[in-house]
Amino acid sequence: MIVIKHLSKTYNNPDGSSITVLKDVNCEIGPGEVISIIGPSGTGKSTLLRALNMLEPPTGGEIWVDGENIMSRGYPLDRLRRKMGMVFQSFNLFEHMSVLENVTYAPMALLNKPAKEAKEEALELLRKVGMAHKADVSPASLSGGQKQRVAIARSLAMHPEVILFDEPTSALDPTMVGEVLSVIRQLAKDGLTMLIVTHEMRFARDVSTRIFFMNEGIIYEDGTPEQIFEHPVHSATKAFVNRIHKLVFEVGGEDFDFLAMHTEMTRFCIKYNAADKAQPAADVTEEMLLRQLPSIRPLPLRLTHTELSGETALDFMMEGRSESPLTEEGLPESLRARVTNVIEESTSRGFRIKVLL
Amino acid sequence: MRHVYVILGLLLLLGGTACSETGSSTLQLSSDADLAGLTVSCTAGNYYEHKYSAREDVKVFACNSEADAVQAVRQGLADVYVSDEVVLSANALKQLGMKMALRGEESFDVAFALRKGNSSLLEQLNEFLSSAPLDDILAHWLQDGPAVADPVPPAGEKKAPLRCIVCVNLAPVSYLGEGGQWQGMDPDLLRRFAASQGRTLEVKFQDLGSAIVALETGQADIVSGCLFVTDERKTFVDFSMPYYECHPAYFVLDKASGTRPDLKSRLTMNFVQEGRWKLIVGGLCETLKITLLSILLGTLLGVGLCAARRSRRKWLRSAADIYGTLIEGIPTLVLLLIMFYVVFAGTGVTASAVAVVTFALGFASSAGSIFDTAVSSVPRGQTEAGLSLGFTPLKTFTGIVFPQALAQGLPLYVGECVSLLKTTSIVGYIAIQDLTRASDLIRSRTFDALIPLLLVTIVYFLLAWLIRRMLNFFLVKK
Repeated sequence: MIVIKHLSKTYNNPDGSSITVLKDVNCEIGPGEVISIIGPSGTGKSTLLRALNMLEPPTGGEIWVDGENIMSRGYPLDRLRRKMGMVFQSFNLFEHMSVLENVTYAPMALLNKPAKEAKEEALELLRKVGMAHKADVSPASLSGGQKQRVAIARSLAMHPEVILFDEPTSALDPTMVGEVLSVIRQLAKDGLTMLIVTHEMRFARDVSTRIFFMNEGIIYEDGTPEQIFEHPVHSATKAFVNRIHKLVFEVGGEDFDFLAMHTEMTRFCIKYNAADKAQPAADVTEEMLLRQLPSIRPLPLRLTHTELSGETALDFMMEGRSESPLTEEGLPESLRARVTNVIEESTSRGFRIKVLL
Repeated sequence: MRHVYVILGLLLLLGGTACSETGSSTLQLSSDADLAGLTVSCTAGNYYEHKYSAREDVKVFACNSEADAVQAVRQGLADVYVSDEVVLSANALKQLGMKMALRGEESFDVAFALRKGNSSLLEQLNEFLSSAPLDDILAHWLQDGPAVADPVPPAGEKKAPLRCIVCVNLAPVSYLGEGGQWQGMDPDLLRRFAASQGRTLEVKFQDLGSAIVALETGQADIVSGCLFVTDERKTFVDFSMPYYECHPAYFVLDKASGTRPDLKSRLTMNFVQEGRWKLIVGGLCETLKITLLSILLGTLLGVGLCAARRSRRKWLRSAADIYGTLIEGIPTLVLLLIMFYVVFAGTGVTASAVAVVTFALGFASSAGSIFDTAVSSVPRGQTEAGLSLGFTPLKTFTGIVFPQALAQGLPLYVGECVSLLKTTSIVGYIAIQDLTRASDLIRSRTFDALIPLLLVTIVYFLLAWLIRRMLNFFLVKK
């Protein structure tokens, strides 16, 4: 149904420099597929979506829809877009029309639907997204979640073959995300073909038939939700789906600012809802750096937090060593009692001590 | 609505308060040496201004027109009004409560001015003047006899009308008489001359400066208005043979003359006599015509300008920018004069059309930027939403972006329209009889400054209010 070959998009800045957002995107999308596009920000997810309906014309490659190259000169884009709806992050409801008019406007103007028929169908669609009771109000009086549901109804009114969702919940209060996602979930059940750029991982996993993990301007990994979330092939995918966050230090000579490092660690723990790990992290680093390994400099140190499992860990890597450099007594009992686990292992790069906080 | 009544009430109140004068004895003059220490009013740029500006013991109050100079004496801004003896008839003096205090010794030849090198017309005119009963005709007007023009039948075959500009708007030289027709000494003479050539006469009223330009650019054939024959003037125009010998006259307030007219008779004098209300109505129509046509044409141009400003082509954007900057930097009046005397000179385009084009050019510039700002104020997302539903870019603009831009830009646009209405009051400079000019003409006939000005103020005010209401009614929905 949709085939994308070597798609690229480069923005030229006025100062002569350029940024390549899409490098080389290749994929095939079949009817009925629900594809979530995930990945770190700035990797071209939205650009890919907007390239598909030519709101953001690509600079290279090909897009084939139903056997036609839509990037060829003179291709009727308005006809393409009638069968390829789009739902925006910022809703973009027509502010000068009522909710009902927002939904009836395009079918009446473009499909020549009689007013009565268009209205009946629009009310039906509004009912489907739970917004029929607001048919006659102005969009300005709606909440974000309500606006987005109307926007979905507006898109459905054109009976598109595909709907592109461009971060449909990113502009919403957390309390309103659910109402929009449940509407999209329902559409997925109905078998509508959809491409969804989203940051809602659980939703992506539940609703999709397929996941694109985008990174650095390409589709880095493409697979079923199970493959991507349970058995990712690439480490970048793994880090992303597990939502692993890192804080890296290199402990140098005598002038190293321990206090600043502690402050940063505390801030990191608070940011990822692991404030209770801040004190153990400070105590463990103090013990390790000042009493156990005072002579090993420089010493790379890494604090990681995995959001999915809630695991926080401190990593010390002593390059070029194969034996534990800890003193005879090792970590004091009082400290060991306060951490979850201490793993010592010899790796190809050196000796590694991982303290699970 | 209520504030409209309040403002109208205030204006009428202003009309009710007639200014009173300080009573003292009538000024006596026996020679122009007696002018020492006095203020003399006259028309700017004429002979008398030069003469008395040179005298250190006399203060000169130079006015825009003869009528204003007369008014200056009546308002107490000057003591003596000096001009040619023919500018005020005995009847007019009585009406004004003024009298001639002194007739000067000097004498000047008065003649008609023609475009340099127009020798055939000059010959015909001189021939006519030398054979016409000049003394009888002049006496008829100077004695302010019956204002009935002699019969002058135009010939059968069709010839181009003789285009004449008069620079004086005072009886008996030349003035707008009954039925809005130019009458007086000069028009009468010229009408007889035109008739002798089998032509009709077309009269316009302009100040001398622009009349000379019109003569040079071929928009007029003859300029009249008590023009003194001087060597300096001869370098620019050709003069006919003198048809009158003119003496200066010094007019002062006649304190002994009767009372000032009451409000009712002032209204009658200003609007009823000689059908002067027709001037107001005609002026109103002209003002409305120019305003509406300028808005129409200017809006169309403004749309084009807005499109150019938003164009993807850089040269179009630059062109629109340059246009906007250029128009912004030229006073509308100057632009109007340039268009009339330079750009459209000799093309036969009517003054009204020139005015419409000029105002449209200015209006387009502001309307263009109003539209541009309004369209820019509609978020990009609205366009994207329209496109993504399958509308073409054009339909997206007309159906989705434009209605929203309209709501944004309309208040500014309406304001611009109202402001244009007021700007059109300058068209008198190119001899169009609009509302303002109509009040000028009445003023110089009746020498009543307040009532005609007050009336046009009220009319402009109501028009502005009406235009705003109308545009808001038609364009601003909801």
